[in-house]
Amino acid sequence: MIQVLKAMIVREIQEHKVAFVYAPFFVSIILCFVIASVYFGGTNIQTDQFNFSTEYYDEEIRQAMQSVSSVSRIDIVRTGLLVLGFPILLTVGFGLLAYSLSTFADERKDRSLIFWRSLPVSDLTTVLSKVFIVTLIVPLMVIPYIILLQLVAMTSASIFFATNDIVSFGWLWGSYIITDWFRIIFSLWAQALWSLPLFLWLMLAGTYAARPIAGAIVPPVILIVLEGVIFKTNLVLEFIENRIGFWSRSDSFPKEYQEIRVVDISDILLLFSTQAFWIGILASVILVAGIVYVRSSNSDHAID
Amino acid sequence: MNTEVVIKANNISKKYDESYALDSIDIEVSKGQIMGLIGPNGAGKSTFLQSVLGLLKTEGNLEVLGLDPRKDRHKLLKEVCSITDVAVLPKWMTVQQLLSYMDGVHPGFDLDKCISILSRTNIKLHSKIKVLSRGMVVQLHLSLVMAIDAKILILDEPTLGLDLVYRKDFYSQLIEDYYEGNKTILISTHQVEEIEGVLSDAVFMNQGRIVMQDSIESINKKYLELRPDQNSINAAKSLNPMHHRTELGREVMLFEDMDKDKLMELGDVRPPVIADLFMAIMETTKGGGQS
Repeated sequence: MIQVLKAMIVREIQEHKVAFVYAPFFVSIILCFVIASVYFGGTNIQTDQFNFSTEYYDEEIRQAMQSVSSVSRIDIVRTGLLVLGFPILLTVGFGLLAYSLSTFADERKDRSLIFWRSLPVSDLTTVLSKVFIVTLIVPLMVIPYIILLQLVAMTSASIFFATNDIVSFGWLWGSYIITDWFRIIFSLWAQALWSLPLFLWLMLAGTYAARPIAGAIVPPVILIVLEGVIFKTNLVLEFIENRIGFWSRSDSFPKEYQEIRVVDISDILLLFSTQAFWIGILASVILVAGIVYVRSSNSDHAID
Repeated sequence: MNTEVVIKANNISKKYDESYALDSIDIEVSKGQIMGLIGPNGAGKSTFLQSVLGLLKTEGNLEVLGLDPRKDRHKLLKEVCSITDVAVLPKWMTVQQLLSYMDGVHPGFDLDKCISILSRTNIKLHSKIKVLSRGMVVQLHLSLVMAIDAKILILDEPTLGLDLVYRKDFYSQLIEDYYEGNKTILISTHQVEEIEGVLSDAVFMNQGRIVMQDSIESINKKYLELRPDQNSINAAKSLNPMHHRTELGREVMLFEDMDKDKLMELGDVRPPVIADLFMAIMETTKGGGQS
């Protein structure tokens, strides 16, 4: 079973290497360049119509950095490093949405579904391999890019501070960096589980609809409209909005979680204790069953 | 011939709207048989093969290697491999990636054997499937199934759309493997003349029903085709041939259960080719079914 899942996961990554490997790689390389430019003032374009400068650390900021306590500095750095990774996370997030919508639609479109179903792999195993990709594997694959980005940022900052008479190594290169990497991994896993119903809904649309994008959008829109007209509520819309957003900002969490911060493992345990999380897991189980059923009934359906 | 039954279908039916794709058919396939399903479009050949693979739900009792194909599909597919359509291999993959995947998910797949089979073709391991010609894709697909240590091989129009050279290659490769591996093969094709030398048994199907099923050996004994001499035509007709036609201006008559020596006195006698026998039986039964 492990060998089968491994082969299936490798296949998924090979098929979607642009979304999961190349796109985050290029975004992180661009970000590395921008970060280095910010620290070393490599970019300063000023014309009549355009004004862009990366000469960011002026004298005022240098003095401010020297005046704050080391604990505050660490908090600033940790938050800064976390924010740095957002463009990569957004890139991979969009990649995952596109993957979820296309993964079952593509096999119908190129008719490779017939081949995949001629092999001794159950539909459930196939769907679970894709769930593993979304919830476990891709979040893990993002980490090297975030580490690269952080290391470039830290190195650039160290060189910058050293050349500006700020002794930074003591508080800049603390052990929190490594523990924060683990926190980010667990936080991403939690996010993937939190958003799993959305990914699975897109997969279901790809499994059943002749036009997957319309199949993904039209039914929820109809539900939202009907709910608003009949019950005067907007639970479906709130559910979707909640699942698109960060799990730590859902209504189930205390207000202090609204701040941008590196989450602790205990925060994730708090997520597991919420009713909203388990409602999402239940919806995911139902959607997995639906995908398995529809895929097992698909033989050679046309798709646009 | 080993008589171990590997496929047992009793009273199998499949209905779409108001018409039957399969109408109460009974088929038994024994280990080592190469059975050809022969019939026009809509005869129910593909429907039956898909039900054997567990891809379609049917009424009736169907057992393949002692398993219910619908319930135990993925277990069954460890022992049964198939080519149910041409050019359905994933186009984005390279040949090497596909082989690695097969090696990972199929317990009966022999990677070295597959590479060895592919080395006899022009297919390169680093090639993307989308750049291969249609014929090469079928060759690749056949190489994959040949490298699987399966008990049953199911081929549904495996050479549809291929040119003559690739079709010949396909069947010669198939025969070579068959004699090495003693596999049971179910094959459906429109190009009957290309497979009849391979078959051990034939099943004629029309409109979801079985028109005739028998071994090729028995068919060759039971049916004889006579090309009577010019002065023996009336004598031949008096023997009540089951079917007669004209071929290049010459009468050709088909007889069932007739003494060969008696016919040889009237002209050239030979076993009928399967396609001609099928046409004759279809015309005789006027499309109706009989077992």
